Amino acid sequence: MSRLRRFLRTPEAIAGASILALLVVMALAAPLLFPGDPQAIAGPALLPPFQDWSLPLGTDRLGRDVLAELFHGAHTSLAVGLAAAAAALLIGAVVGTLAGFAGGLADEVLMRITDAFQTVPGFLLALAFVSIVGPSLGVVVAAIALSAWTGPARVARAEVLSIRERDYVAGARVIGMHPLEIAFREVLPNALPPVLALSSVIVAAAILTEAALSFLGLGDPNRVTWGGMIAEGRTVLRTAPFLSIVPGIALVLTVLGVYLAGEGLVESTATRGSLS
Amino acid sequence: MSEFTISRRGLLAGSALLLASTALPTIGFAQTPKKGGRLVLAADSEPRNLNPAIVASNGVFFISSKIVETLAEASFDGKDGLEPRLALSWEGAADGLSVTFKLRDGVKWHDGKPFTSADVAFSALQIWKPLQNLGRTVFKDLEAVDTPDEHTAIFKFVKPTPSQLIRNALPALSSVVPQHLYELGKIEDNPANNAPVGTGPFKFAEYKAGQYYRLTRNGAYWGKDEPYLDEIVYQVLPDRTSAASALEAEEIQLAAFSAVPLADLDRISKVPGLKVITKGYEGLTYQLVVEINHRRKELADVKVRQAIAHAIDKDFVVKTIFLGYAATATGPVPKNDPQFYTADVPTYAFDVAKANALLDEAGYKRADDGKRFALKLLPAPYFNETKQFGDYLRQALAAVGIDAEIVNNDSAAHIKAVYTDHAFDLAVGPPVFRGDPAISTTILVQSGIPDGVPFSNQGGYKNAELDALIVKASETLDTAARTDLYKEFQKKVAADLPLINVAEWSFISVARDTVGNIANNPRWAVSNWADTYLES
Repeated sequence: MSRLRRFLRTPEAIAGASILALLVVMALAAPLLFPGDPQAIAGPALLPPFQDWSLPLGTDRLGRDVLAELFHGAHTSLAVGLAAAAAALLIGAVVGTLAGFAGGLADEVLMRITDAFQTVPGFLLALAFVSIVGPSLGVVVAAIALSAWTGPARVARAEVLSIRERDYVAGARVIGMHPLEIAFREVLPNALPPVLALSSVIVAAAILTEAALSFLGLGDPNRVTWGGMIAEGRTVLRTAPFLSIVPGIALVLTVLGVYLAGEGLVESTATRGSLS
Repeated sequence: MSEFTISRRGLLAGSALLLASTALPTIGFAQTPKKGGRLVLAADSEPRNLNPAIVASNGVFFISSKIVETLAEASFDGKDGLEPRLALSWEGAADGLSVTFKLRDGVKWHDGKPFTSADVAFSALQIWKPLQNLGRTVFKDLEAVDTPDEHTAIFKFVKPTPSQLIRNALPALSSVVPQHLYELGKIEDNPANNAPVGTGPFKFAEYKAGQYYRLTRNGAYWGKDEPYLDEIVYQVLPDRTSAASALEAEEIQLAAFSAVPLADLDRISKVPGLKVITKGYEGLTYQLVVEINHRRKELADVKVRQAIAHAIDKDFVVKTIFLGYAATATGPVPKNDPQFYTADVPTYAFDVAKANALLDEAGYKRADDGKRFALKLLPAPYFNETKQFGDYLRQALAAVGIDAEIVNNDSAAHIKAVYTDHAFDLAVGPPVFRGDPAISTTILVQSGIPDGVPFSNQGGYKNAELDALIVKASETLDTAARTDLYKEFQKKVAADLPLINVAEWSFISVARDTVGNIANNPRWAVSNWADTYLES
């Protein structure tokens, strides 16, 4: 409770948290407020926003409801962002812990693999992966996780390296615990907080990567995504700019929200550090 | 020129735009063309092989038709709809076994060597027949080309070949390349494929990948005083939205092949100094087609195919996706074709209730979730409109309880998935009608075509009656009888729906007012532009 209060002390954190809360509400409310297929044709094509109050944000080139698409797009963005971040953190934490705890050859091999992934720009990796396997939501999540797990792996390894020399780890060894059990039950939980601090950055990056992939036509075509909406709006940018601007604003706000919340989190932990 | 400057309202008012445009009077301007100047225009793709004799496609013609000429070009008012180019006349024998071409005198290749009948014989026998994507079908029975003198070429066929077909094939299939450059080595690897040498009004000068193609004036061209332009520069602008701004900024003077998105035309037609032209593509009609995989048991049922046809609102497609710059289709021959089209075919009005009834009748009842069955839908990625129609079709099918899942691929993967692997249930394709059903239309429904031939029947459709009709038409020499057979063909295709024709569209050019002699033939964008000029 006190941690939450500390977190909410900074104005950035409040702004970030409220944007994220709004996004979550949008994503959860999407199927309730706009049941049915958001890509269904709802009215005349290219209706500008604020003309018809049953279609408040207007319609796109096929006459689909932009507001419904925006809500369902929030759903997709958030789902992809969270799933990709969770997957990246999981892979990263496991690889980092194994490398840090085992040391020696295993450490060398795992870290060189991590290096190899880090030398390739993450977005290119995701792009290549999706174009080979074919675009669908699961593939997009896997592609983003594939390009994002190296950061958590490095942080986890660094943490584990310091933790494994602690007395309680030596104690666990003495009582005959299996090394894997020590690694994942004793060491990893204590190494997690700094890794989790990366999560906000990863979620933001994942949402952006997903949008960029969809923009390039490599998103799941059967789902509404903000990137896909921007890409479709781009062909009519001069005549109906709102089709790109609306999802663009949503994207900017989301990433800003995730970033601010992350900053707030860092700040609150930093305050705790200086107090203790 | 103002009579061809259109407004969107004017366009929408004419319901059959494509028909209307062919009926417009041909251009006859009193203005004298001015010599000199450089025409800069937008190019949205960069074909690597520029040899139109091998790759007969509009992307290649767009650039190389100015360099390499054909025997004849399409024309609005010429005899048989043709205008002489390298050939002055063509005469089919009564038995259909030969066609005699009289060739133009005093024509020189860009490297100074004379053009003779030997070049025509070489191009026809060594390239069009064995290598060209379209020539393989049309010239399959070509056995020899006799050259009694330097200006006569006699095409000999083993089986009677309709002279109507050969005539209709001339504008797109008869690009003549120099024998002296191609006779050594493998034709496919010849360096002239990337830097073509021809007899045309412009010479190939240079190509900078990702930047531009540059063509320069051929001073020794056979046309009197032609060409008028000094240079043509194709500025590579792969991004469609940038073509409109480049026109407004006067960086380019012309954007052909709908390089300016349809949604921008209304706005751009109001910009002073720019004109929107819908003429000049009558010979290049694209057809929006739903390709069907008949291996799926649901789709093998004609009732299901009819239901899909009834579920598609063609007027919506034309008005919303093509913004009125298209016409609804009734069958495999487009409405604007002057020789073969017939409206007397079964039609499928937009009727969701009827589509639902047909599906029920076929035995595919809605399950509890309202869905009858699921399909994989592959929209071709070549045009914005084919992709958008894919999105629309998914919704139209959902309304009748068919759950379509869209699978997006890039061009190469799409061609492989549909035409080689047959990994589709429905696909959206844009085949081209090339003036004669035998060139590239009958192949869409004919059976027995090997796997992997792009833009052919790869849906496993087999109809012996239709196959027999196609063979009979290909052997019928009498023009009227042949035309009637193709009318019968249209009826049968529309009745049995091996594929569903939804709409027909052509392209739009946007040009600055200073560009003269635009759109003066039905294949203008892919013709030689010898008479195109720039007012200063």
